[in-house]
Amino acid sequence: MPAATVGQTPSLSTFVKSLKTNSIESSIELLASLLKRRQIKNSRQCALATAQLLLRVVAAERIKDPQKLIDRIRDVGRRLVAAQPREMAVGNIVRRILGVVREVIESQAGDDGSGSSAPSTPTSPAHRQSKRPMISHSFSSFTPLSHSAAMPYDMHPRPGTPMDSSASTVDGMADLAAPRRPGLASSASYASTAPQNASLLSFLEHPLGRSPAGTPPSRNSPRMTPVQSSTELNKEKIDIKAEVIDGIKELLDELEVVDTQIAESALDHIHSNETILTTTSSQTVQKFLSTAARKRKFTVIHAEAYPNDHEITHATILNGGKKSSGEDEEADERWKPLTALGITVILIPDTAVFALMSRINKVILAPHTVLANGSLLAAAGASTIALAAQAHHVPVVVLSGVYKLSPVYPFDTQELIEYGDPGKVVPFEEGDFMSKIDVQNPLYDFVDAELVSLYVTNLGGCAPSFLYRIVADHYRVEDTDLSAKTG
Amino acid sequence: MSTVAPEVTAPSAEDQKISPAELKKRAKAEKQARRAAQKDQKPEDEAQSAEPQSAAATAPGVNGEMKAHETPASALQQQQPKAEKPQKAQPPKLSKQGSQEAEPHHKRTGSQAQQMPLRRRPSQTGPPTKVAPKKESKQVELFSHLYTQPRRHTIEGVSKDVHPAVLALGFQISSYEICGSSARCVAMLLAFEEAIQDYTTPAGASLARHLTAHYLSPQIEFLKSCRSISESMGNAIRWLKKLIVEIDPSTPEQEAKDELCERIEVFIRERITITDQAIAASASNQIKNGSVVLTYAKSSIVEKTILEAHAKGTKFRVIVVDSRPLFEGKQLATSLMHAGLEIEYLPFSAISHAVKQATVVLLGAHSMLSNGRLQSRIGTASVAMQAAKRDIPVIVCCESVKFSGKVALDSIVLNEIAPAEELLLPTRSTPSKPAPKDGDEEAEAKPKALSDWKEIPRLQLLNLMYDVTPAEYIRMVICEYGSLPPSSVPVVHRLANEGM
Amino acid sequence: MANEPFNIVSTYRRLLAEDEDLTMPVAAIEALIQGLANTPASTVSETLDLVSKLTAQLKQSIPNSISLSAGTDLFQQYLISNLQRPSDRGDFDQIRAHLVQNGKLFVERAKAARETIAGFGRHFIRDGDVVLTNGGSRVVGSLLRSAAESSNNRGSIRFKVIYVISPNKTAMEDESTANIAALRERDIPVATIPSTAVAYCIGQVTQCFVGAEGVVENGGIVSRMGTYQIGMLAKAAGKPFYVVSESHKFVRLYPINQQDLGIEQDVVDFRTAKGSVKDDEGAERSERDEGVADMEGKEGAGGKAAICEPHEAVDYTPPHLISGIITESGVLLPSAVSEELIKIWF
Repeated sequence: MPAATVGQTPSLSTFVKSLKTNSIESSIELLASLLKRRQIKNSRQCALATAQLLLRVVAAERIKDPQKLIDRIRDVGRRLVAAQPREMAVGNIVRRILGVVREVIESQAGDDGSGSSAPSTPTSPAHRQSKRPMISHSFSSFTPLSHSAAMPYDMHPRPGTPMDSSASTVDGMADLAAPRRPGLASSASYASTAPQNASLLSFLEHPLGRSPAGTPPSRNSPRMTPVQSSTELNKEKIDIKAEVIDGIKELLDELEVVDTQIAESALDHIHSNETILTTTSSQTVQKFLSTAARKRKFTVIHAEAYPNDHEITHATILNGGKKSSGEDEEADERWKPLTALGITVILIPDTAVFALMSRINKVILAPHTVLANGSLLAAAGASTIALAAQAHHVPVVVLSGVYKLSPVYPFDTQELIEYGDPGKVVPFEEGDFMSKIDVQNPLYDFVDAELVSLYVTNLGGCAPSFLYRIVADHYRVEDTDLSAKTG
Repeated sequence: MSTVAPEVTAPSAEDQKISPAELKKRAKAEKQARRAAQKDQKPEDEAQSAEPQSAAATAPGVNGEMKAHETPASALQQQQPKAEKPQKAQPPKLSKQGSQEAEPHHKRTGSQAQQMPLRRRPSQTGPPTKVAPKKESKQVELFSHLYTQPRRHTIEGVSKDVHPAVLALGFQISSYEICGSSARCVAMLLAFEEAIQDYTTPAGASLARHLTAHYLSPQIEFLKSCRSISESMGNAIRWLKKLIVEIDPSTPEQEAKDELCERIEVFIRERITITDQAIAASASNQIKNGSVVLTYAKSSIVEKTILEAHAKGTKFRVIVVDSRPLFEGKQLATSLMHAGLEIEYLPFSAISHAVKQATVVLLGAHSMLSNGRLQSRIGTASVAMQAAKRDIPVIVCCESVKFSGKVALDSIVLNEIAPAEELLLPTRSTPSKPAPKDGDEEAEAKPKALSDWKEIPRLQLLNLMYDVTPAEYIRMVICEYGSLPPSSVPVVHRLANEGM
Repeated sequence: MANEPFNIVSTYRRLLAEDEDLTMPVAAIEALIQGLANTPASTVSETLDLVSKLTAQLKQSIPNSISLSAGTDLFQQYLISNLQRPSDRGDFDQIRAHLVQNGKLFVERAKAARETIAGFGRHFIRDGDVVLTNGGSRVVGSLLRSAAESSNNRGSIRFKVIYVISPNKTAMEDESTANIAALRERDIPVATIPSTAVAYCIGQVTQCFVGAEGVVENGGIVSRMGTYQIGMLAKAAGKPFYVVSESHKFVRLYPINQQDLGIEQDVVDFRTAKGSVKDDEGAERSERDEGVADMEGKEGAGGKAAICEPHEAVDYTPPHLISGIITESGVLLPSAVSEELIKIWF
């Protein structure tokens, strides 16, 4: 990390530096204000900053009760999300970390518990389970998406939902009295615990086996009392902390290598002599293209993304990956411009996209956020590019790290659009013009899922129709709605 | 060539004593002239060979006449290879071979030299330093057919035949001072009027034959060298040439010139001025109370339409979408703002947001092609596509003089390439932001700026002028013949531009 | 072990008639449970045998068995998965007793699902929306009602509804009448249009909600005749087209086209002055339809099921027209349906 000059504009690097010295509270405040003022704005940087901050939060927390930790993270997450509700990456990371915490708690509890739930434990329930593993609760994997997808932000339509988070940690105490059929009640992992009505068969389940509010059936055996479990959990608190920190570090690592991982599949998608259209200065796309450029020759047509990103786009084309000053912790992430790798790059204004589309083989876009139904938000102009591609039957490939995948369902796309500085459209010097004419500068475009041919994530490629599954794999239902009151 | 020369003198000499044989001969000559004129049109149409010399190649008879008229035969012989050269030089140039070194005085080099000041790199003013970057073509291969020669901005090397009015117009056009298909057409016709008034038929020539070939052609070629001519200009030139050819040779010169000028006035009035009013009146009916009119860039006729609707007292809102590098929409927004309209101004990137609110899209045209497609300012197709996707009616306002007999499927064959330098960012527009960035980057290495693009291998800039909007995005075309579906464009074209 | 005095078909019909809020799959399950209660089956295989017999009987006598088969299949699968585990012999009676005792509870749960779905309503409906819907789907009705109520609470959200009603006076229309009245009562402006006017109106619509009789394996739906064309028109106009359905309506059926639903509908009836052309081709035609049914493997042996009444006719809406399926557990993409069904049966 090269020395940053004093009085530098605040950025991710200054924030990360300040994390070491500032108190946690002030760090949270700082990040919230940085987000609010859009001084950290690229989604990856937001993700990194959030993860770093939460790492610090977890490290400082004295964990007595894991639920407290979850509450704490949720609370911090809520504040960050409130600061910049349209920056999905922040919420995504908070949810991922909550997932890590829950997993750690569950695995701890599972190890300490009666063993009835651990899939590896060679007890009879587990055995039965392996024979019929799919009956009921494994359905939850569909639920997280659908369920979570249905609830953006403030919403809490289902009466039972508030129970979910508490139920998942306090281990369904409500169930204890019920005579349970052990085999069915246990599921492969607690991770898949469904909210009520999750499965098609659920309404046929033992009615008495469930709390009236529909608390998910838990892995608990009748023997295991909540008191026991919580004491056991307390014993493990140090481990929990260490493991959560490890988990967050893994997440940070993932954020570091995500572009490289995506780039690994570049050769599967780009063939020789292709003409590829892209826009903005996305590092992900640039890495993807340069990886392909090492082996294959193709032509890149680069739309400049005026008026918000054109300068950095030009800089990327001309100089390759060299982040501007404030982000010097990424200084090692330099790459040569594509032209230096023997690729012909044609810079065009955004207006020429339609005119050229008939000669383009593939459009590669980087999203700002990917939503659960496969649609996405990307830099303004992306919708025009995607539509033009569709009009010319050109495939649109979207490169997105999993961290950009949000469980939010786009009920109202307009709500998600952020507006930028109109001064970028018309210089403020033209005061008369500015005062009499309504100048708008939307930063993002909503691109419908049906315009996207393929997503390439760090986990590989998938169709937009399958994204729901990846979302379900990465987020806990309970965490979808960060603003919900916990149990 | 030598065979042509005698023929030149022949008609004028024989004009006095007309014998049947002579008449026949004259008819033949006339036919030849007309054919030459027709041949002349073609390059115009395709905006291809804008150099006067290349016209010589396509119309040897006529050009031979001209050369014979003004230069001795020896000069002609020098001229001839020169005329051939650009055509031969073209292919290697396209195939990235930069033949310019071998041909230092080609126009391309010349104008690059004069573009240097624009780029503000005093270190590289002269042609010699340009040898290194020349190694690689900066032309986008896909469009190599469109790179003819760069636009002329100076008087250097201009034929002395070019009339001062046309000369002035040429520079106004090349600098976009006069911009827009109709405006350029009107300005051209007015300049021609002046030029025609200053014309005197040389002894031994007839106005009908001499004016077009020897006097107007250089003017037209000059205009083409400033910027490719528009469809309306092409239509007007074709009309004018036909008019000239049809002049009775017995008409006294001044009378003929007056007649021509008057007809030009009428043309401007009937085909453009009154037409515009008619279209604006008709199109303004499409703007209703509560409408939100979306328009892109600037079309004078759309502007008239909007003002007309505003004058009628209709309450509506206008969204102007604009684009780099010309920012024509800003002019439109400013003028509408002064008229007191409620305006929203959006950058091109925001079209998807603009169409969400719009109830009708009004577009101007560069040309309406015979297959119903619209050729207009680059970006128009995207706007129309976004609107069509949301089922918002897209209405094109277009005088029939802009209707064309040409057809195009894409925006690649028919187009115009504007100088890539226009895409460079004015350093002024973003004074605050790049300053610290630049400073920082310079400390690390020497970051390249976009203005250095010619020095960066394999980097190309493409600045197209037009795109072609598919007919299915266009709900209606309003011209002076009424409102029509795009499929009826060829009908009107034949009626208006060919049948007259 | 077969029919005895208990009549599954009449029980099913009675259940549906008694409770108009009951959906067909749930009524089918309820009927099967009653059948189970009435029949002393002592072994697992006997029970399963009984259930499949009752199911076949039921399907055969109901013209459009798609929706109810969702329920019977679900029930069968539930029994299989719960009864056939080696060590659970002792649980058999327990499970059976549990099922028999709690029949009502299942019904309540199924209804609760509808309320849950209705709870989503307000998130889908935004200020100024114009919602198009059709038929008398109860779940759509309650979704709209809930949106109307929440909009009253929030005050600022105003929406309008366009109800596509069927031209012939039927029981179904009564249902939509009830929905319409309920919405109007809640101060929501409702327009009713015939199905022929959908294309005319689609321009001003912001989104469509339709109910479904069954959600089929590929994420498409089987629903009231006319739904398919609404879906196509919505797609053509680029309007979101949402299916509202409880997840117990997911049915293991994979139609490849409209004729492949495994039910006979007398929709296209060519006529000449001599009468219906079908009479002449009758034999040929029913053969072909049977072939389809056999391939589907859904219909039991025996004769064809009765022909659907015109007002009960259904069509199949393929998944590419569907923006999302709103179930009690959230919004599913059509692509997720297949996964759910796969998981039930494998």
